[in-house]
Amino acid sequence: MQTFSGLVSVLIVFVWLGGNQVSPLRPICDLRVLEHFIREAQDSEVIMRGCRGGCGAMKSYFVPLTSVDFAFWEHIDVHEQAVEVQTGLSLLVQALSTAMKAVSNSRLASALDNNISNIHSLSQILHSLDLQQARSTVLPDDSAPASTQSQEVSSLPELLQVQSSFLRGKVRLLLSAAPACQRQNS
Amino acid sequence: YHGIFSLPLAFGGYHLAQLLQDETEHIKCFVEGKDLTCFWEERNNLHHQYTFTYSYENKNKMACAVSSLLASNKTIFFCKLPKTPFFTTLDVQVLRDGRMLYTRSLNAENFLFLDPPRNLTVMSSGKEGQLNVSWLPPPLKYMDDSMIYEVRYAVEGSNMGKVEVVKVSTMLVLLGLQSDTRYKVWVRVKPDGVAYKGYWSAWTEPVFGVTPPSDVDPLIVLLVLFIGLILCLLSLTVILSHHKFLLKKLWPDIPTPEHKFPGLFTVYKGDFKEWMSQNNGSMWGRSVHVYTEELPSLLEVLSEVSRTSHDTSQREEEEEKESESSDSGLTDRWRDPPHAHWLMEQLRALQENPESRCQSSLLQSHDTYVTLNQGDNEQQVDDVFEETLPLQTLFTTTGTSSLSTSHSDLGSLQQSSGSGRLSSQSSFEYPNHTWAPKGPGYAYMAVADSGVSMDYRPMSSSRIAELGRHRMYTNDYKNEICPHKWPLSGQYIKSGSESCTGPVW
Repeated sequence: MQTFSGLVSVLIVFVWLGGNQVSPLRPICDLRVLEHFIREAQDSEVIMRGCRGGCGAMKSYFVPLTSVDFAFWEHIDVHEQAVEVQTGLSLLVQALSTAMKAVSNSRLASALDNNISNIHSLSQILHSLDLQQARSTVLPDDSAPASTQSQEVSSLPELLQVQSSFLRGKVRLLLSAAPACQRQNS
Repeated sequence: YHGIFSLPLAFGGYHLAQLLQDETEHIKCFVEGKDLTCFWEERNNLHHQYTFTYSYENKNKMACAVSSLLASNKTIFFCKLPKTPFFTTLDVQVLRDGRMLYTRSLNAENFLFLDPPRNLTVMSSGKEGQLNVSWLPPPLKYMDDSMIYEVRYAVEGSNMGKVEVVKVSTMLVLLGLQSDTRYKVWVRVKPDGVAYKGYWSAWTEPVFGVTPPSDVDPLIVLLVLFIGLILCLLSLTVILSHHKFLLKKLWPDIPTPEHKFPGLFTVYKGDFKEWMSQNNGSMWGRSVHVYTEELPSLLEVLSEVSRTSHDTSQREEEEEKESESSDSGLTDRWRDPPHAHWLMEQLRALQENPESRCQSSLLQSHDTYVTLNQGDNEQQVDDVFEETLPLQTLFTTTGTSSLSTSHSDLGSLQQSSGSGRLSSQSSFEYPNHTWAPKGPGYAYMAVADSGVSMDYRPMSSSRIAELGRHRMYTNDYKNEICPHKWPLSGQYIKSGSESCTGPVW
């Protein structure tokens, strides 16, 4: 659903353009957007499972850590959470881009491309929540990722599973706990 | 504290055990609260040392303390992870005596077993057949908006229940229920499957609710019945008062001619012959009346012609033909031989004395003719035929005969050919084919009715009645052909008449 994420991107851009640049953006708090992205990430996993012969992408990737210890997570500051999430998202984009170039199956390649644009949209959503994370972390850069916050996987199915777990876990927890959205929900 | 396993046959534990019966894996796991619990079953007779290890995210393996639970013929070993990591793949292993027995990889967030919803309440909404059901979700952070509920309801005492699925919302309005009935309601919860997955929770304890009684007010029912009763009585009254009329409309009488034949059915029991013999004279007269009433297309009777002015040597045949005004097809023939003979004589005399003819000879009343049998005067047949002398002019009480010589077409004989065709106005046609002259020399005068335009005069009827009694028609009728009074168009009138004064009685 590339169009959906594209629409979200356009929406965000318009919101950003329409409003005053100095004033904060209107936060996007609807978790259904994230749920949509999660479902699309799971679709990629399904396509991957149906792929005989690995579909040509057998490389190792650096991916973020996805595990969440609720007790530990609740004690982390929101901003730290945001930084962690943003870093993880950029790592995922890097890995997915590398994988997409190597994949031979066109259906899988388009699914991966979809996931990449979804992650870009997520970055924009996080930005709208005004969590004071670094802005220039969307695009992948060549600096080595922090090893304490990443792990290495050796296959594309694992990469996709990491993506799915990351979105369902840390990203979702951050979005649901964002202060900007808490004010609306209460 | 072993969680649900602390009470082996507790409701929750039993329910979970039922749920996990379909699990094909040896190691069965569920998350209760925030902790993952994995268990496996073994036969009792063996004594082994079991160890449980788990690892995730390339970390080192960690051990978990194994507990056991004795059941009837088996032992349940379980382990609860102290700090369960979510959203990552866990690799768990069971080792028996140091050797790997079972292994499994799973994500903890996919095996949630939630507590049942709390504070289930069922209330009447006030509307008929509806109940308001509301509850609270289990106390779990971050999962409030990713839960799905199932509401089950059934009539108290019945085993047939219906299920409604509710997403996210913690209330539901049950619709389509029976009025004034006691219902049992249960609720259970499960993760919606997007961020979290898991098993259905146990059902809550049933809560009862009573639907409100029917809206129909007994007073309204009574009023409706009362009004219905009044309407029924009203319609009955109307029907009874007009029952004769209605009966006639619905069950019309078969018309009988009984009233025309008095005594035929009552006295003579339908014996027409008898009746005829008894009522002969009066019937004849009566029939005249009948004819005069129903068939107004009667002839005008001839007016009397003075005996002194004419010879009476002709014989005549008088024919009356009535054109039909209806499809009765009745033709009445008037035969009056003594008078006919005398009439013919008069006619002959008149023809021989053209100057004695009356200018105005035509019938003022419409187109009645009397046909006369021709005498010896052959050459005058056509002439006379064309002239169509009216009868009235043949006979006058005064001296002069007033036979008209006008050639006006008096109209045609309306043939009762059975076609039943009416002409609203007289159409003048010469019925040559039917009026073949039977004898020479006498005027044929077709006596006919013009059709619909009956101008039957009561006077004439009396005259005819008298004629029927073999009496002379003594009408001093003197007709004139008055073209302007002639109703027909396109007729050929050869009228020499100047004085149009109309009939003079």
